[in-house]
Amino acid sequence: MPQIKIYKQDYISTPAGRVWKAFSHNPFALVGLWGVGFLLVLALLAPFIAPYGANEQNQQVLLLPPSWDPAGHVEYFLGTDDLGRDIFSRILHGVQMTFGMSLVIVSCALFFGFIIGAISGMMRGLKSSILGHLLDALLSIPSLLMAILVVAVIGPGLSNVFWAVGIAMVPQFIRTIHQAVHDELQKEYVTAARLDGANDLQILLYVIMPNVWEVLIIQVTMAISAAILDIAALGFLNLGAQAPSPEWGAMVAQGLDNLLLAPWTVTIPGVAILFSVLAVNLVGDGLRSAIAPIRK
Amino acid sequence: MTLFWKLTPKTLLCAAVGMLVSACGQATLPPGLVYCSEGNPESFNPQVVTSGTTIDATSHQLYSRLVNYDVEKGDITPGLATDWYISNDGLNYTFNLRHNVQFHHTDFFKPQRAFNADDVLFSFERIINKQHPYHFVSRTGYPFFQSIGFESLISSIEKVNEYQIVFKLNRKDASFLSNLATDFAIILSREYADQLLIEGEPEKIDLQPIGTGPFQLNQYVKNEFIRYTKNPQYWLGDIDIEHLVFDITPKSTSRLAKLITGDCSVSALPKAGELAIIDQHSHIKVDAKPGLNVAFWALNTQKPPLNNISVRRALAHAIDKQNILDVVYNDIAVEATGILPPTSWAYSNNLPANNYDPAKAKNLLDKAGVKDLVINLWAMPVARIYNPNALKTAELIQADLANVGVKVNIITYDWSIFTQKLVSEDYDSVLIGWNADNSDPDNFFTPLLSCSALESNNNRSKWCQKDFDHLLTLAQNTTNRADRKSYYQAAEAILSDQVPLIPIAHAEKVLLKRNNITSMQVRPYGGIAFAKIKHNAQQGNQ
Amino acid sequence: MWRYFFRRVNLFFATTLVMMAVLFYATHQFPVDESYALSGISNPSAEQLEHISDEFKLNSNSVVQFLAYVEQRFSGNMGMSINSQQPVFEELKTVLPASFELSLVAGLIALFLGVPIGVIAALSSNKFVQWSILGLTLTGYSIPVFWLGLTLSLWFGVNLGWLPISGQINLLYQIKPITGFMLIDTLLSDSSYRIPAFVDALMHLILPAITLAVLPFTLIVRITRQAMLQVMNQTYIRAAEARGLHTFTIIIKHALPNAMIPVLKSIGIMLGTFACYGIIVEVIFSWPGVGSWLVSGIYQRDYTVIQAGILSVSLLIIFLSILIEFIHTAINPMSKKELYATN
Repeated sequence: MPQIKIYKQDYISTPAGRVWKAFSHNPFALVGLWGVGFLLVLALLAPFIAPYGANEQNQQVLLLPPSWDPAGHVEYFLGTDDLGRDIFSRILHGVQMTFGMSLVIVSCALFFGFIIGAISGMMRGLKSSILGHLLDALLSIPSLLMAILVVAVIGPGLSNVFWAVGIAMVPQFIRTIHQAVHDELQKEYVTAARLDGANDLQILLYVIMPNVWEVLIIQVTMAISAAILDIAALGFLNLGAQAPSPEWGAMVAQGLDNLLLAPWTVTIPGVAILFSVLAVNLVGDGLRSAIAPIRK
Repeated sequence: MTLFWKLTPKTLLCAAVGMLVSACGQATLPPGLVYCSEGNPESFNPQVVTSGTTIDATSHQLYSRLVNYDVEKGDITPGLATDWYISNDGLNYTFNLRHNVQFHHTDFFKPQRAFNADDVLFSFERIINKQHPYHFVSRTGYPFFQSIGFESLISSIEKVNEYQIVFKLNRKDASFLSNLATDFAIILSREYADQLLIEGEPEKIDLQPIGTGPFQLNQYVKNEFIRYTKNPQYWLGDIDIEHLVFDITPKSTSRLAKLITGDCSVSALPKAGELAIIDQHSHIKVDAKPGLNVAFWALNTQKPPLNNISVRRALAHAIDKQNILDVVYNDIAVEATGILPPTSWAYSNNLPANNYDPAKAKNLLDKAGVKDLVINLWAMPVARIYNPNALKTAELIQADLANVGVKVNIITYDWSIFTQKLVSEDYDSVLIGWNADNSDPDNFFTPLLSCSALESNNNRSKWCQKDFDHLLTLAQNTTNRADRKSYYQAAEAILSDQVPLIPIAHAEKVLLKRNNITSMQVRPYGGIAFAKIKHNAQQGNQ
Repeated sequence: MWRYFFRRVNLFFATTLVMMAVLFYATHQFPVDESYALSGISNPSAEQLEHISDEFKLNSNSVVQFLAYVEQRFSGNMGMSINSQQPVFEELKTVLPASFELSLVAGLIALFLGVPIGVIAALSSNKFVQWSILGLTLTGYSIPVFWLGLTLSLWFGVNLGWLPISGQINLLYQIKPITGFMLIDTLLSDSSYRIPAFVDALMHLILPAITLAVLPFTLIVRITRQAMLQVMNQTYIRAAEARGLHTFTIIIKHALPNAMIPVLKSIGIMLGTFACYGIIVEVIFSWPGVGSWLVSGIYQRDYTVIQAGILSVSLLIIFLSILIEFIHTAINPMSKKELYATN
């Protein structure tokens, strides 16, 4: 339907526009958004930017401190680890693994969670309640325990992280979407649409969805930050990415051997994790406070 | 938070938590010593294992041997046997046993008699006699004894009287006494074994140990600690340490941190780089001695593609050992050309070694027509004396082999699982090593690479060659050092040519200890011993 | 109320069953022999094998097997630890209290620091205070716990040498376990060194507890702040102000109890993450609790330990979250209304 402006009137922005307006007034949230954008760019371009390969060893420069240290060298901006690998390059390569992987996991979890959650949300009665119990049980297995179970079955590796974190995350999405859809379903405007003769699918897509996406976005940002922390934690515990992978958590674990001698091998990957989780959380926080007054 | 850090000097912290104690920080610890060890023992009987972790936790703490090694002189000295004589044909060894040696008194076992010939008979019969009720109690077999062909060596063991026993051999063996002095040849209690048989729990003999050693086992909690108390009736006299605790700390960094914070007084197996940190802490001392050990990369010679000798030779030329030495060992090791370390009397430095030459390696691979080679490389997750960081070594090898177009997959498991899986699974190659149990050069050959070692699974290369075995037998049959040396040199040459394994390094044996620990000697071979240790009253550490 | 109570109990059992089913399924997927994964006895003799198959009804269909599995596990038969060949149940009994001790202390630290700071954040009109508290909590929430633990132990343990960074107590103190809580056991022990032992145990507890407390602390601060902001805008607070009550009294007596309700709820939601963090903290500080036990179980492929660890931790989380939800409903008049309205 084309918008024809007959009368001169105040432009009333769309809900999304209002959220963006509130969001962009929050400087922290904007910083977070820039951070996330930066990470996204790195995830795509890291292999081209990185000065060295992730596993390129140089025995001439073992445990070189970062460049701001008097003993450091600017060619190895963040120093090197005990095999003479450039930490800066490894961090860049790691963006794809830790941050990129979290995006992949969350998208997959969102996809399945959305389908199951929406269907179950539209359902009522016993089936819905059985599903609820099932979800409660799955939700009560923390992701780390799930990972341990997965590792016990198929052994450690980065692909298992996908399953472990993914399996632990899907129920959260199902639950959020189920709850949101369920809540909206009670409201009168849905009944109105139903009286108009809309079928379940139409109600879900055209009536309910526009009102639950905000919840979904908040859940997604929370899930991404949780996924990054989970991937890194699994890498750290040697249950996820294995050495010599440049996954950040695994890098911390590899640096552990030299914690006392070369603390930067642990500090720098840790800061990278902190930075990305913080960026995602800032965005999530900004979104939440931007959306909150609208939902009230 | 940062503000809080700055405002909290030690005194303030103590005041907060230590209202109950008058003198904060002067925590009076109970008398004893904590040793930060690197892993769980698999058993409490060294007869049934070869792992150094188990040896450390058992051999010199819980048990005694018939004869001992003198670290300084490299001589055999009396242990539970006061003296012995060898018949002229070199086949009969008669031992006179020590009187009034008591076994441990514990809650579950009250010995009625002192140590005598029955105990010796039992300890060795168990190993060699398949009909012995205790022979199959060990599920792992007796790897060390099997690998040196002990069963075929001994014709019989005869008790002459309560305090005299004769070992009759089938052939001359110059290393026999040395082997009896190893950490594996410990003496168990026959009386205890009989009691366990009656109780129907024979497997407890390896789990709830009874021996004649300086300490008796008090408590073992897997992954946490082993607690020993001193054996008040130890036959070598009073011991300085009341309690001995092995604090099981697999991570090397944690071991060092515990040493610095005072949670332990002696610590094993530091990583090479950590020695630099120790210089900053005046209360910690480093004890290092050239060790009798070798780290090597064993290639499974029974499985393609490594059954192909050119591939094995290519691999030997492809790895840069000097680089491994720099990165993994720092300066606490020497490059290995053969498996005998320079400290061994049979060592010779003019061996034809396989030098680092990637071009030659590539060439050899091309000639053999091998392309896109993928091999798996097993690496231990824990530090061992011979290799402080096998995983790092594996990563270096991975990078070296990538240069010659060989892809390496690194496989690792927790240490106890690792040793089990090595026996049961089909690996391509494994990074492992050997820490000698005595100074006899035979200890490097027969237990590792002989055909009899193949049966005991101690032959990690799964390699058995007649010529090589023959040389070892020749060397055993003579006591002439010059002859033996030439035989071992010939054996080394075969190894260098056939490449069943690629020797990497001979590491120094390093022990870290706090200043108040005195008269603790690093032994170049075998397990750690705490009986002679002295330590001054601990104070002022938390 | 009773009806609600029974519904929650019902939920507990249903969830437990689902949980057991997941575990049962996973157990059969382990890459080892079925009877080995169930019992942990390596190289069992023929009669042991028969006994295992009898216990777990291995010859029947999977439903019967599942019921037998549930029955065995809940009667305390967790099998033998593959690695130590000790009954898993006995090991579990020694590691659980240590974990409780750590989590309780961490939880208390979080609560006693978090609530006041949250209140301050809510009431302060100073932008700087607000921002710094918000920044701090957001950072605390984003920080990878393993990294935080390592950094703290590097600084306070190694560089400054103030605090021990590993284990529960210096191992030379031989403390007989009575309650399993080291702090209590040291005081209960009759040895001459009980006071130094207590101090030593306390010193060992500080760093792990602080590390573990960071996550709940930040959450509690955030939620307390939000709840306080909301409560302080309510009319009854204004009424109290109008009556001339002291601000402090209003906060303590009127606002805080109501603000605590959402805090309670968020604690329930946080339990799973808290458990994960607890496991990692235990690994870093070699705390002899269920977390490090479980993680070394997975390193050593100790399948019975893995099952028992996951089962016990998940059951605890299920139980506690249902309990918290129940308490939340019981003390919250708002949800009571909802309850009876929907029923």
